Amino acid sequence: MRDRILILSVFIVASCGLAYELIAGALASYLLGDTVLQFSSIIGCYLFAMGVGSHLSRYVKDEDALACFIDVELLVGIIGGLSATLLFAIFAWASAPFRTVLYALVFVVGVLVGMEIPLVMRVLYGRKAEMREMVSRVLTFDYLGALVVSLLFPLVLAPRLGMSRTALLFGLLNAGVALLTARVFDKEIKGTRGIRLRGAIVVIMLIGALAFSSQLTRWAEQSVFGDQIVHAETTPYQRMVITRWQDDLRLYLNGNLQFSTRDEHRYHEALIHPAMQSLPGARSVLVLGGGDGLAVRELLKYKTLEHVTLVDLDPAMTHLFSTSAELTAINEHALTNPRVHVINADAGQWLETDAHSYDAIVIDLPDPSNFALGKLYSVPMYRLVSKHLAEHGYVVVQSTSPYFAPHAFWCVVATLREAGFYTWPYHVNVPSFGEWGYVLASRHDSFTQPDHYDVPMHFLDASSTREMFHFPADMLAPDVEPNRLNNQALVHYFEQDWHRVIR
Amino acid sequence: MPGMAQGHALRDAAKLPPPSADIDCDIVIIGSGAAGLAAAWRLAKEGRRDFIVVEGPEPDGNAAGASMAGQACPTGAHYLPLPSMESRHVREMLQDVGVIVGDAYGRQPEFDERVLVHTPQERLLRAGKWYEDLLPDEVDAPAQRAEHQRFARTIEQLKSAVGSDGRRAFAIPVALSSQDAQWRMLDKLSFRDWLTREGYRSAALHWYANYACRDDYGAGYERISAYAGLHYFASRAGEARNAEPGAVLTWPDGLQSLVRALRARIGFAAGSRLDDRTAPRRMSGFAASVQLKGKGVEALIVQQEGGASRTLRIRARHAICAMPLHVAAHVVNDMPGFGFDAATHLPQSAPWMIANFLMRRFPEERAKSPLAWDNVIYAGKGLGYVVATHQLIRVARPEYTVFSAYDALSERSPQEMRRWLETATPTELLGRAAGDLSMAYEHLWPCVERVDITLRGHGMASPTPGYLSNKGLLALREVDGPLQFAHSDLSGYSVFEEAAWWGEVAARRLL
Repeated sequence: MRDRILILSVFIVASCGLAYELIAGALASYLLGDTVLQFSSIIGCYLFAMGVGSHLSRYVKDEDALACFIDVELLVGIIGGLSATLLFAIFAWASAPFRTVLYALVFVVGVLVGMEIPLVMRVLYGRKAEMREMVSRVLTFDYLGALVVSLLFPLVLAPRLGMSRTALLFGLLNAGVALLTARVFDKEIKGTRGIRLRGAIVVIMLIGALAFSSQLTRWAEQSVFGDQIVHAETTPYQRMVITRWQDDLRLYLNGNLQFSTRDEHRYHEALIHPAMQSLPGARSVLVLGGGDGLAVRELLKYKTLEHVTLVDLDPAMTHLFSTSAELTAINEHALTNPRVHVINADAGQWLETDAHSYDAIVIDLPDPSNFALGKLYSVPMYRLVSKHLAEHGYVVVQSTSPYFAPHAFWCVVATLREAGFYTWPYHVNVPSFGEWGYVLASRHDSFTQPDHYDVPMHFLDASSTREMFHFPADMLAPDVEPNRLNNQALVHYFEQDWHRVIR
Repeated sequence: MPGMAQGHALRDAAKLPPPSADIDCDIVIIGSGAAGLAAAWRLAKEGRRDFIVVEGPEPDGNAAGASMAGQACPTGAHYLPLPSMESRHVREMLQDVGVIVGDAYGRQPEFDERVLVHTPQERLLRAGKWYEDLLPDEVDAPAQRAEHQRFARTIEQLKSAVGSDGRRAFAIPVALSSQDAQWRMLDKLSFRDWLTREGYRSAALHWYANYACRDDYGAGYERISAYAGLHYFASRAGEARNAEPGAVLTWPDGLQSLVRALRARIGFAAGSRLDDRTAPRRMSGFAASVQLKGKGVEALIVQQEGGASRTLRIRARHAICAMPLHVAAHVVNDMPGFGFDAATHLPQSAPWMIANFLMRRFPEERAKSPLAWDNVIYAGKGLGYVVATHQLIRVARPEYTVFSAYDALSERSPQEMRRWLETATPTELLGRAAGDLSMAYEHLWPCVERVDITLRGHGMASPTPGYLSNKGLLALREVDGPLQFAHSDLSGYSVFEEAAWWGEVAARRLL
C-alpha cells in the first residue's frame, strides 16, 4: 500500500517535472521568440540540472531520504509553481534580467526534480523491494507521467488556464504529494509537524497566487501608471486604462494619456469652438475619432446643430463612454444623445463609402506614431475629407504638440495645404499635455478669429483666442515636407521630435 | 495554368469543328494582354469603333488578377515603375485613367497618391533580420560597401548617359535606346560576366543583380544579357513630384486595376452583339489560325463553352496579333514569310509561379519589423512576397489579406522547370510556393486560410545575350500591312511599357 503511494508520487512528480520544463520553454519562446532556440536551451539546461540533482542525491543519508524527498517536493511546489508568474512580472518590469532569472529558475527546479527519482528509488530499495521490479515500476510511471502532461499541456492546460495558472496548479500537486507522503509515512519520519506547517504555507501561497493571478497583471500596470486603475480593458485595437487620483480621472490608450478631467475642457474647447463659432448655420458635423464623446459634448452646446456623426474604430471605447456612469457624467451623455449617430468603422474606409457632406469635420485621432495611423494624416486622406466638406465649412485637426514636435505639427499644416486647404494653425496650453496644437482648415481663404463665444466657456475668450493663433519666436515653423503615403514623412518627424524630448 | 490546355491543343493541331459563323470587322485584335488592350485603347481614343478584341485564353494576360474572400490580388505583374521620359504612351494612358493628375509629360508628373506605393515600400530579410534596403549598407564589410557605392554611381551615370544619336543609353521602350556600339556591345556577354569583368566581388551585390534578373526576366544573371541587366537598373529614371525616386505604382490586384481602367476607357459595347459595328467589341475565345486572305486577314477563333467547342471566322481588313510569339508561331500562317523562324528566333521563355496566400490574420513579425509592400528574402528560392492590402488607407488591419509570393523557376533550364511544373504534386508546389514565407515567419500556417497557385509555363521572354540583334524580332517589329504584331516579346523581355509600346505602334500604323 505504502509502496503504491510512492509509485503514485512518482507519476505525479514526473508530470510536474515535465510541466515546469514545458512552461519555461513555452514562456521563453512566447516572450523572446525563436522557439527552436528557446526550447533547446531550456531542455538542455533542465536536463543538465537534473543530472546535478541526481548527483547531489548521493549526499543525502539513507535514513533522511524520505524526509528529504518531502522537502524537495515542497520546494519544487513553491518555486516551480510561482515560476511562470514571477517570470511574467519580471518581463513586464524589465527585460534585461529576464533571461538570467529564467535560466536560474530552470536550473534550480531542474536540480530539485533531479533529486526526486533517486530518492524515491532509495526509499523503495530500503524497504526491501526487489531491485528488478522496483526500477521497472518507478521508471514506467515516471515516463507515463511525462506522456500525460505532454498531451495535457498543449491541448488543455495552456489554452484554458494559461502559463501562470498551469504552473500554480502543478505546484499544488507537488505540495499535495509532499503532504500525502508525510501523512502515510508519519511513523517513519521525524518532525512531521514541521512538514505540515511548511506544506500549509506553500499551499496557501499557491492558492493565493492562483486567486490573484488576474489581478497581478493589473498590479503590474498600476506600478507603471501610478494612480488607481478604475477600468482596464484590452480590445482588438488597443489597451484602454482609466485611472483616478482624487478627482482626476484619466484615460490612457496604449499607455498614452488621452485626457485628464482636470484640464480636458481646455483641449476640447480649443478643438471645437474656433471652428463652430465661425459657422453659425452649421447643421451637421462629422467627428473622426474622439470616441470619449468629449468633443461631441462641446458640439452639442450648439442648439442649431442637427446631426453629429461620430466615427470611431473601437466599439469597446464608444460603448464604455456611452454606458459607464462615471464617464457619461464627464461627457454629459453625449454619445447617447438623439442628435448623435455613433459609427464604429475605420475612418478612411468609412469616408470612401459615405456620400454626405458636413459643415464641419473634426479630426481627433491618436498621434501619428506608426505608419497605419500616419495614413490618416496623409494628402489623399485630406483630399477625401475635402470631398465631404461643405463649401464654406471648416476642418479642424488635432496635430500633436507644436512645441515638443514642431516638425510633426507643421507637417500636418503642409499636408493640409498640399491637399488644397487654406490653413490657420493654433495652439493652447493643456497642463497635462503641455503646449498642444491644432490646424483649422477650409477650402476658402477667409477665417476671422472669434472675439466672443455664443456658448458658455470655461477657458476660451477673446484674449485667449488671440494668443492661441499667435506663434511666439520659440514656436516658429521649421521647413517640412507634406506627409505623402509614399514616404510618410510625418511618422519620421513625429518619432524624431519626441525622441528628442523624451529621455 | 492559364491557357495551357488551349495552347497545347493548338501545338498538337487538335481537330476543330467547321466555323459556325462569319464576322466582319475593320480591325481584329487577337489577345487582350497589355499590348492588345493598349492598341484597343489607342484606336478607341482616336475615334475608331469598328474593332473586336479577342480575349485569348487568359483575359488581361500577365496583367491578370483574382479575388480571394473579397480581397483583390494579382496573378500576374504587380507594379509599374514611374514612367520614363520616353514612355509618353504610358503617361498618356495613365493620365487618361486618372493615375497621373498633373504635368503628364514633365520631368516630375503628379500621380494619384493612392496608387504610389505607400511606405514602407520594401525590406530584405538577411541573416534573420529585416533591413529597409535590398542592399543594406550596415551588413557588409567596408570593401563590399565601396563596391555597392561604385555600382550605384555607375548606374546613376548610365541613367543620364546619352548616345551620339541623342538618345538615352538605356531607355524604356528599349527600341528608343541609343544605337551606340559602346552600350550595344554589352549584349554579347552575360550580366554575371560583366560584373566579374568590372571587378565586382561582393556576394551581396551579385545576389542583388541575380535577384533583379530573376525578378524582371525570369532567369538567373548568368543567362541574362549584360545589356538587359544594366537596362533594368538604368532605364528606370522616372520621377514623380509627389514621391521619392524609385517609387512604383501599384494596386491591390497589381496591373489588373490598370487594365480594368483601360477597358472602361475603351468602352466595349455591353452584351455580346458582335455585329454592331458602331462600338468596340470583345469576345471570348482564342485564335486557332490567322492568315492573310485577299486584301485582309482571316482568323479562326475557337470558343469553348462547357465541354463543347465552336469556331467563328473573323474577316477583318487589319489584324493585330497581340499574342506571345511562342503561340503566334503555331497560329499565324507562314511566320517564316514575315522573317521569323521559330527554331532560331523564339526567345527563351521562363516559367513562373505566383502563389496567393489568403491570410486570416497577419503573422507575427520578427522584432516587430513593419510589414512592407514587397518583402524579399536574401538568398531565398523565390522572389519574396507582396501584400495586397498595403495600399488601403486603414488604421486597423483588415480581416483578411493576401500575400502574393512570386517565383521564377530558374535554377535549371526553362524546359526542365516546365516539366517539373507539369508533374509536381500539389504538395510539392505548395512546399515550393511557401519557401520564402516560411523563412519570414515562424508561425505561418495557422494564419493561412487558403493558397491559390497560378503557374505560367511560358510566363515571359528572357533577354539572353544577343537578344538585341535577334533578326526575327527585328523583322516582326517592322511588319506592316494587313497583319501586325504587338507584344512585349518583340522587345525580348516582358514589361507593361514594352507591351503597351508595341500596341501603340501597331495601332498608330492603322490610324
